[in-house]
Amino acid sequence: MRKIRCWNAIARAVLLEALRRKDLWVIAILGFIMILGASALGFFGVAGLEVFVKDLSVTVLGLFSTIVAVLTSVRLLPDEIRNRTLYPLLARPISRFDLLFGKFLGAVFASWIGFLSLSFLTAIALLIFHVQFEWVMVQYLVAKMMGLVVICAVTLALSTFMTPQAGATMSFVLAFGSSMMIRGLVMASDSASAPMKGMFQVVNAMLPQYSIFDMGSRAANIGWSAAPLWVMGALLGYMVVYSGAMLVLSWSKFRKQAI
Amino acid sequence: MSNAIWAEDLHVRYRAKNGKWIEAVQGLSFQVQAGEVVGFLGPNGAGKSTTLKALMGFIEPCAGYCEIFGEPAGTLESRTRVGYLPEVALYYPFLSPLETLTLYGELQGLHGRQLRTEALHLLEVVGLADAATKRNKTLSKGMLQRVGIAQALLGEPELLILDEVTSGLDPVGRKELRHILHARRDAGCTLFFSSHELSEVEMLCDRILLIHNGKFVEERQIPELKAELRNYELTYDGQASLLDLTEDWSEPKPGEYVARFHSKEALIEAVDRIHQSKGKIIDVVAQEGSLEDYFVETIGRAA
Repeated sequence: MRKIRCWNAIARAVLLEALRRKDLWVIAILGFIMILGASALGFFGVAGLEVFVKDLSVTVLGLFSTIVAVLTSVRLLPDEIRNRTLYPLLARPISRFDLLFGKFLGAVFASWIGFLSLSFLTAIALLIFHVQFEWVMVQYLVAKMMGLVVICAVTLALSTFMTPQAGATMSFVLAFGSSMMIRGLVMASDSASAPMKGMFQVVNAMLPQYSIFDMGSRAANIGWSAAPLWVMGALLGYMVVYSGAMLVLSWSKFRKQAI
Repeated sequence: MSNAIWAEDLHVRYRAKNGKWIEAVQGLSFQVQAGEVVGFLGPNGAGKSTTLKALMGFIEPCAGYCEIFGEPAGTLESRTRVGYLPEVALYYPFLSPLETLTLYGELQGLHGRQLRTEALHLLEVVGLADAATKRNKTLSKGMLQRVGIAQALLGEPELLILDEVTSGLDPVGRKELRHILHARRDAGCTLFFSSHELSEVEMLCDRILLIHNGKFVEERQIPELKAELRNYELTYDGQASLLDLTEDWSEPKPGEYVARFHSKEALIEAVDRIHQSKGKIIDVVAQEGSLEDYFVETIGRAA
């Protein structure tokens, strides 16, 4: 119970910071711009462009939610160390893992709030022009939210090993380029010798598989059915294992770090 | 009396920006007993803050050992009983003092109405009741230091470890702080703090520990030290011989002498002799010795 209270207090502070630093306001402004964009499309006639508009919307949603997740997570620990706000926190009877986990939860909630707010604004913008998402959209949202958890965990881990700038760059490269890297690894693995194939497979397994959380195409197309429940279960399992591994990695560096 | 702090042969080193290892604390051993008020003194770079960080578990010693109330320093058990004020007071700029205290209070294990009441009370104690809901980023350095003091007092800790406690405070703030710390001491709290304000140290402490270049130099009880530093200046005329009582004397005017004594006994003896030789006492002044001079001299010897 005490641990939950600690995590809650730390996560709440991260969330308050995101709100008061106006990070999430940027999302609202972007949503407003999207409404204006949708109005323009409506002006030129959106009929027949429904799939295109929906595809564009989920792409924008994915892009901006990733940016929020990375920028929120990457400064959590480096900022605390640089600003020396870590001292009064760690002077309390809490472990470094509790601090790390609370911060991680805060980053996850902040990126979820940003993502859901933007999704809500997008849905309203599209509804104005009678473009409706189907129920599979809910599945897209849930999968994307799980993907954001992995992005936050990876970014937090990177920020404990490198500067915030390097961590953010690396995280963006992974978030937007991992599917390309993975495709390259699979192709290289097909034509490689047995030992090299094994190595490629290990590297592939170590890379975050962000693309599996992207159900944008399914949500954008008309008449596509929802993915089976076991797929969502598998995504949840991957999220827990991969994010857990990233948190352990962050903690292994942070637990003995002199501050 | 049990030890609130026990450090034994403490060695702490860290890697500087140029990659070289710096041994900031070299074999430091000391004890602070429960209920004591101890000042931790040394020039800049002496290793004071590093020692305090080691006591809080922020830095792991490379050798030696330190304990807080019998628990290894840095463990959750030891930190439960400690309030800590860091050297540079930076608190979340986007939170208010009340929210800051609420956050730290929750991490301390307080919650609900009890936490809010204590947070508001502490803000009043440190003189920040009017600024309780202002954002920290709008507060002055001195006000932020007060937030720091309030957060250190949360949960009524049995030991207060304060790094540069008077930093950023104006004379009024220092006086108020003195009252707060006296009240904590009277309540049985142990105080261990570093400061460059020797007058504050003198007014607050039972004992001082001096370090230089990460090594222990000297420890002194404040009342003894003050007595040692105190001297008496006697101005007289006449022919009394005081050379065996003091070598520190001068003749500012022909026939008028000024002699300085380090003990009251010597002074009384001198007064007797002046009376016996029909001399006249013109003035007697008791002077409190300067802790600053003692500090400079002792550190100079240790360097």
